Amino acid sequence: MSLGPGWRRLFRLPVRTKRSICADIDDELAFHISMREETLERRGMSPESAHRTALARFGNPDVVRSECFTVDSQFAREARMTEWLESLLADLRFAARTLRRTPVFALVATLTLALGVAASSAIFSLVDGILLRPLPYPDPGRLVRVAQSFPEKGLSNWSLSQENFAMYRDGASDFQSFAGYWVRGTTIQSDGQPKRIVGVQVTGDFFTVLGVQPMLGRAISRVDDHPNPTAVVVLGNGFWLTHFAGDPNVVGKTIDLYGTPTRVIGVMPPGFAFPDPTVQVYRPLGLDPSRRFGWFIRGVGRLKPGVSPEHARAQTTGLLWTWARNEPDLLGLRVDPKATHLQTTVTPLHDAMTGETAQPLAVLQAAVMVILLIAVGNVAMLFSSRATGRSREVAVRSALGATRERVMRQLLTESMVLAIAGGTMGIVLGATLVRAFTHSPIATLPRITEVGMSWRVATFTLAVSMMSGLLCGLAPAIHLPRRRLADALSGSTQSSRTSARRLNSSLVVAQLALSVMLLVSAGLVIKSFRRLLGTDLGFTPSNVTSISLPLPPQRYSDRMAVPPLTEQLVRRVSALPGVGATAVVWSPPFSGGVNTDGDLIEGHAPPPDAGSETQTVTISVTPGYFNTIGIPLRYGRDVSWDDRANGLPVVVVDEALASRYWVGADAIGKRMRLTGDTTWLTIVGVVGSIRDEDVATLPRPHSYFPYAQQPSASPSLVVRMRGDASPVVAAVRRVVSELEPAVPLDGVRSLSESIDVVLRTRRLTEALLLGFALLAATLAAVGVYGVMSLYVTNRHREFGIRLAIGASPQNLVRRVLGEGSVLAVLGVLIGMGGALIGTGWLGTLLYQVSPTDPEVFVGLGLGLFAVAVTASYLPARRAARSDPLVALRAE
Amino acid sequence: MAHAESDLLRSSLDLLILKALSWGPMHGYAVSEWIESATDTVLLVEEGTLYPALHRLEGRGWITAEWGVSDRNRRAKFYKLSAAGRARFRAESSVWHRHADAIAGALRQTSAAAAEGR
Repeated sequence: MSLGPGWRRLFRLPVRTKRSICADIDDELAFHISMREETLERRGMSPESAHRTALARFGNPDVVRSECFTVDSQFAREARMTEWLESLLADLRFAARTLRRTPVFALVATLTLALGVAASSAIFSLVDGILLRPLPYPDPGRLVRVAQSFPEKGLSNWSLSQENFAMYRDGASDFQSFAGYWVRGTTIQSDGQPKRIVGVQVTGDFFTVLGVQPMLGRAISRVDDHPNPTAVVVLGNGFWLTHFAGDPNVVGKTIDLYGTPTRVIGVMPPGFAFPDPTVQVYRPLGLDPSRRFGWFIRGVGRLKPGVSPEHARAQTTGLLWTWARNEPDLLGLRVDPKATHLQTTVTPLHDAMTGETAQPLAVLQAAVMVILLIAVGNVAMLFSSRATGRSREVAVRSALGATRERVMRQLLTESMVLAIAGGTMGIVLGATLVRAFTHSPIATLPRITEVGMSWRVATFTLAVSMMSGLLCGLAPAIHLPRRRLADALSGSTQSSRTSARRLNSSLVVAQLALSVMLLVSAGLVIKSFRRLLGTDLGFTPSNVTSISLPLPPQRYSDRMAVPPLTEQLVRRVSALPGVGATAVVWSPPFSGGVNTDGDLIEGHAPPPDAGSETQTVTISVTPGYFNTIGIPLRYGRDVSWDDRANGLPVVVVDEALASRYWVGADAIGKRMRLTGDTTWLTIVGVVGSIRDEDVATLPRPHSYFPYAQQPSASPSLVVRMRGDASPVVAAVRRVVSELEPAVPLDGVRSLSESIDVVLRTRRLTEALLLGFALLAATLAAVGVYGVMSLYVTNRHREFGIRLAIGASPQNLVRRVLGEGSVLAVLGVLIGMGGALIGTGWLGTLLYQVSPTDPEVFVGLGLGLFAVAVTASYLPARRAARSDPLVALRAE
Repeated sequence: MAHAESDLLRSSLDLLILKALSWGPMHGYAVSEWIESATDTVLLVEEGTLYPALHRLEGRGWITAEWGVSDRNRRAKFYKLSAAGRARFRAESSVWHRHADAIAGALRQTSAAAAEGR
């Protein structure tokens, strides 16, 4: 690119101001006019007429002046722009050259930043998709979930009965529309095989409440709200694609649901699945408001504009109380409900869906912020160590006429190049992580299908990394050019290096402190998780497989048809090779939700303030169940095949129930009954307590009934395997299809898997936190290594002299290690202090571990201290190998 | 139409300025005097129009400007042809000659048939 002389002139000139341009133009034009006047006067004109003529010949000076000004300022602007671009190019070329000269530095800085950005952009994407973004329905802020709560009965998230539902739908004026739904496994016949899919049964206003209409056909509506609805179904988009290959004429066709030909009336648009992504079909609930029993409906409502959830809660609670006053027997409630904590809960739908995820995500978000801070700290440190090494170069450039701004810009360009490279790498890596994560089976968070790296997150994290680049470049740039030129040129850079090292030392202490806080938090969560895994559940889940057997409702509408089938099933399966023990149960542990009922003990007066009688989990079992899943029998006997429907009603209770009323074997022979049923049940055995809902909650009292006396149409078969499960499962399948061909057999899951499902979110949090903590510790170790290397480089001369006058290398190693240890101790202590304050925030992530658990604090504190000292050992060894001659010559 | 005329004038004015400066450094007034005498005042109706042209040429790098002292001992801005300007002048003037000859020839044509004779 060749430049004209005019350019060069502009380059040399300082930036031309508007005023100087104007003054030059005025002078030039005035000179012309006065020259013309003089010439005219010399020809004999009077000064006045010479002036008039000169002006007339010149034209309007104002027009000329403004035209000249426009031309000049435009060229001045162009010149400035070119100059700026030229110097930016030069900076970039220079940055690329210097970074190539120190590839390790460039690589470490870029990778450090990339890791920090990747971790944070991935977690921010989760937070953004799950917590921050509104639900994908029109006006989602008005959607609420409605449930009931009756703490005295141990019911915190109590679903609605059909009667309750209709009461709120018709009586609560706060709702614009109100719907109920019930998620159920549904059996379809597909290619002649029964298959289990997830369906949801909904009331007529379901799609109105959510504000989403089918893309084909019609939605389920109020006309479907009667006890015997026509068999119709609305397909989810995924189901439509997989089972009908996206057939646009699907409406009007039929599918076999539970043996009933069911007409397809609509197809939902892609992306719609409520309440969770597993739902494939929507069917009418067949609402019967006269049904007073059976609390299974989840309520979801759309509030009228401007109505608060709190107001709707008060209104629906009023309705609930009125209802409860008229139903004293149903609830066993003989006092004014106002005196109890009976109430409805109205929660914004977004919170209801994501509530349990909010805290783990908040902790993870804090963790990645810490990582990002540590990473940025490392980059700043790398830059400032390198900048001190380059102080002479900078001084020379200043002496040659580079302004302070120019030098700072050069340094900033370098850091920005790294920041942009690291940030971009990090975002690409983060997006890959997010994609891998959302497609992995461990990702069972709510709304996970909506998660993806958004522009919002990418822009934010890139901005953060560029900000960090700016700061990293600035930190050393600020104290560089202020130094006295002579000092730098003469080579005595000691003072600046000391100040750089002081900055770096505080950075390293801060990094260590942050790492300790993160490590300790992760340690506490991990210890909690180990505690959870080690919790004695009261039974032995390993090697037990549970197979759910949803029976076709038409054939088993009389529940008494079930026990003969179960008896046959158990006899035939227990004869199979590889089967240790087997039984039928309703419902197995960790199958999601249990049935509870109030229990009344003979001879113990019902509590006067009714509603506070104890609750028991009710389970129906065939003989051998306790043996199969490993619940110990303490006293009395197991249920037996002789406990028939027409025999003596018996029950086996667990210790959690028995110990409330009796000591040891005293429970045997006593009688109890359930509220709502007047039959007295004789206690024939006492078994050990179990945890079968959540690992972290205490065991609840259980009552076990003989299956023949309390049958259910959705039994599960539990099998204790002697060896490999799969051949046994195949054999069981054959037995089941022979006995009852209409039963789908895809609900096979080991008990351990079921327990894992409950622990998934915790396991995920634990794994991610562990990874982040290790990353933080590694980055902090890099930081310690960096700052100690700088320390050794700076004292190279001193160490050389010390060696020359007889200091031993070991002595030097000890000195350097000592310096490193001081930083490590400071960082670890500050971090432990911070952790003491901060870990209380982990709240429910902790289980049977104190937020100040000394083992975790001391162990991890010492661990990180050891890591830090190790990281300073490498520079220390370098110090010991200092060559006195080289060291002295270097300056 | 006025636009075309001013374009034509501007390019000829640029060429004349370069020609004037090919004699040596001059201030704006001297340039205007030279153009006046060389063209019998035909081209430069208003002397002021010279200055934006000078500044434009300066911005393009074809002439350079420097403040100096005039022969009457007054501060004046002197313009000088740069190497790039000299090259530009040579290229432009030969183009101008070609065009002028072609246009003059065309204007002298007396019959439409002459076009076929070529």
